[in-house]
Amino acid sequence: MLGRALRVGAPLSHSCRSTVLRKLSRHSAISNAVVQQLVSRNARNNSTSAYQGVGGNTGSPNGGGGVDPVEVSHFNALASSWWDAQGPSRLLHLMNPMRIDFTKHCLSMGIPSEATADAGGGKGLSKGLTVLDVGCGGGIFSESVARLPDTAKVIGLDPSEQVLAVARAHAKKDPTLTGKLQYVNSSIDDYTPDQQFDLITLFEVVEHVPYPAAFLQTCMRHVRPGGWIVLSTIARTWSSWVTTKLIAEDLLRIVPRGTHDWHKYINEPEMRSFFEKQPGWGSQGMLSMGCLYVPGLGWRAIKGSEDYGNYFFGVRRDL
Amino acid sequence: MRRSLLHLPIKRSAWAIRTSNVTRIVATRSFASEASPNPEIYDIVVVGGGPVGLTLAASLGAARATSHLKVALIEGMNLASIRDWNPTPDYFANRIVSLIPSTVKLLRETGVWKHIKQERVQSYDGMQVWDGMTDARVEFDWNKLLGGREEGTDTTIAHMVENIHLSHGLLKRLDEFAVKPTMIDKTKVEKIEYGQMTEEVDMRDWPIVTLSNGQKLGARLLIGADGGNSPVRTFAGIESRGWDYDRHSMVATFKIEDDSAFPKFAYQRFLPSGPVAILPLPGNFANLAWSTTPEKVAHLKSLAPEDFVAMVNAAFRLSYTDIDYLHNLKSGVVEETKWRESVTKYPDPPQIPVRITEVLEGTRASFPLKMKHADKYIGERIALVGDAAHTIHPMAGQGLNAGVGDVYSLVKSIADGISHGQDIGSSFTLEPYQSERYLPNNALLGFVDKLHTLYGFESGPLVPLRSMGVEIINRDWFGLKRFLMSQAAKS
Repeated sequence: MLGRALRVGAPLSHSCRSTVLRKLSRHSAISNAVVQQLVSRNARNNSTSAYQGVGGNTGSPNGGGGVDPVEVSHFNALASSWWDAQGPSRLLHLMNPMRIDFTKHCLSMGIPSEATADAGGGKGLSKGLTVLDVGCGGGIFSESVARLPDTAKVIGLDPSEQVLAVARAHAKKDPTLTGKLQYVNSSIDDYTPDQQFDLITLFEVVEHVPYPAAFLQTCMRHVRPGGWIVLSTIARTWSSWVTTKLIAEDLLRIVPRGTHDWHKYINEPEMRSFFEKQPGWGSQGMLSMGCLYVPGLGWRAIKGSEDYGNYFFGVRRDL
Repeated sequence: MRRSLLHLPIKRSAWAIRTSNVTRIVATRSFASEASPNPEIYDIVVVGGGPVGLTLAASLGAARATSHLKVALIEGMNLASIRDWNPTPDYFANRIVSLIPSTVKLLRETGVWKHIKQERVQSYDGMQVWDGMTDARVEFDWNKLLGGREEGTDTTIAHMVENIHLSHGLLKRLDEFAVKPTMIDKTKVEKIEYGQMTEEVDMRDWPIVTLSNGQKLGARLLIGADGGNSPVRTFAGIESRGWDYDRHSMVATFKIEDDSAFPKFAYQRFLPSGPVAILPLPGNFANLAWSTTPEKVAHLKSLAPEDFVAMVNAAFRLSYTDIDYLHNLKSGVVEETKWRESVTKYPDPPQIPVRITEVLEGTRASFPLKMKHADKYIGERIALVGDAAHTIHPMAGQGLNAGVGDVYSLVKSIADGISHGQDIGSSFTLEPYQSERYLPNNALLGFVDKLHTLYGFESGPLVPLRSMGVEIINRDWFGLKRFLMSQAAKS
């Protein structure tokens, strides 16, 4: 029961990378201590440099400091499990249809007019949405949104080259993705696209960012008028503290201590009030949806649950 | 113009030019580094063009979410004879299927049912099922149970249709689609292997099907509708467990006495060697399904037509001891049964079927019976449907219905995967199919298997018990009869 309760919050409150590493630490024969060390280093990389609001370095874990062979071997182990249907990322995979549904729901309220005219940009696609998936990890969402018929182009952005190698390798298994999906190894701060996007997605990312407001504002600059930011994260409540901090990290210790910073969780009303204060945002669409993992049934949208745990949030830039 | 999930057809090869229905796929791009001949890439490759495989192709074409998919269907037999099937009113084929209402509903929704000639379909509202040892009987009759036909209630238990008729209707439906599946008949699957990694694409988890004509097909999703000895299942390394019943099912088509005074019923009598059933066909026709030992089937096939007819009439009238004795006669069954029936007390129609008068020439055939269930229905880029997933004893007439139930569920899962941007070959797309179908199929297989065992006893403590059970069901105590009948109507 504890394990189940834990899954509701824990894996989704992470970037994909740390989720997998954490699970790995449970299953791997390699010394837990070593893995823990790696994970916390990764988490640090992720939070201190990758998505820093102002003037951070790029978050490349191997940037400048050479390559740690132990770390490489761990990521090699990761490569085989990221897309493993029964592997550590299973809950993220199961959540993905809900991400698509919520995103589609947002887009149904309106999209930039250019998205139906000029957004293709080559490869014979004359129209469609351009998408930037920030913190794409192994590409679970990036691939699926790229397969939708209304999508013209998807850029998956992640600061970890190793994780992107997994994403690229997996995308090669589907020839339809060629030319439609591209992965870029960069933080959002250092990313300089030549055009704005119709949709920017931030799934399970903002809770790892030290300066979420600055981070979101950086993302917002890349959204075309009429476009959307769609994200999912976890609320800072007693229930998420119990599941992700107390049980997962302190009692069962299946999550390395310090992986989560509960204080970084953002509640839905905080998110809402942040976007309400942003000029030119939200007047044409701002919505949220709480969801819960119900063992035996899978992920379910539950009204009002955005106040307790995982929730989706979508906000439109005014046209 | 064919539009596909895959915008990446591969180099046109020699056979693609030869075969007219393959040339429709226009090649725009080639993989220089891959060994030739390159596989033609399909979204779905269905192996097996029996009723289940064809129903799958028709359902994929009819569902809006899947109608754009590039589908190939491979069949070893010649489909032209089925497409050109032109029946005469004085003949019915020996292989017939019983379609329960939920199956017919799917065939209606997919636009197949309108191609079924209703004058060659016989539906029935009632069933007479009894124990060959004790005569304990269950009458399944919606009209009696409901006290007459209620407005708007479908009281049909099942519709009897010839296999070839159903396949003919399915092929006609396939011809109507804007995006037609590529039908490759008279062709066998020679080899299934995994693809290769090239500069552009990694097909190491894509099944590549090599056909007997040299053609190669790459499958985003490979579906085995290829029967009990499914090559697709073998390729996927999925174990199928079960047993042979050491029974064969004997089929034949008969002419019968005028039965217009009676409602059309299905009749099944449980003999210790296996159930014998008479199933209604339009007019004065009926079909036999007699499950018994291979030796007895061989004997039945060897009898002169009039002796065979007498034998089948006796099977619904005489005691099991008599029937067992008659199985030893090589000739003279007509006279022997006449005498024995004159001294035996048996019920009148419609409790038993009217007498059969003639067996149609060339309709006596048989096939072995098995119970088999695959360990799972899906793998990465693999799905199994119908007999490839489960082979059931035919006594309940549920084999094809279960297969159609599989098809419905699988197409639903694929459509859902497409609308959520999933790879239709991934196990995340296919998992809902397996979790929806495995347990119901397992329960059905087990139920029918246990009936087979239960009625295999000639004597002993289970014989009176099974009669008591039958009696309880027949009186509809605890609503058991309604429950069983409504379960049988659903798949």
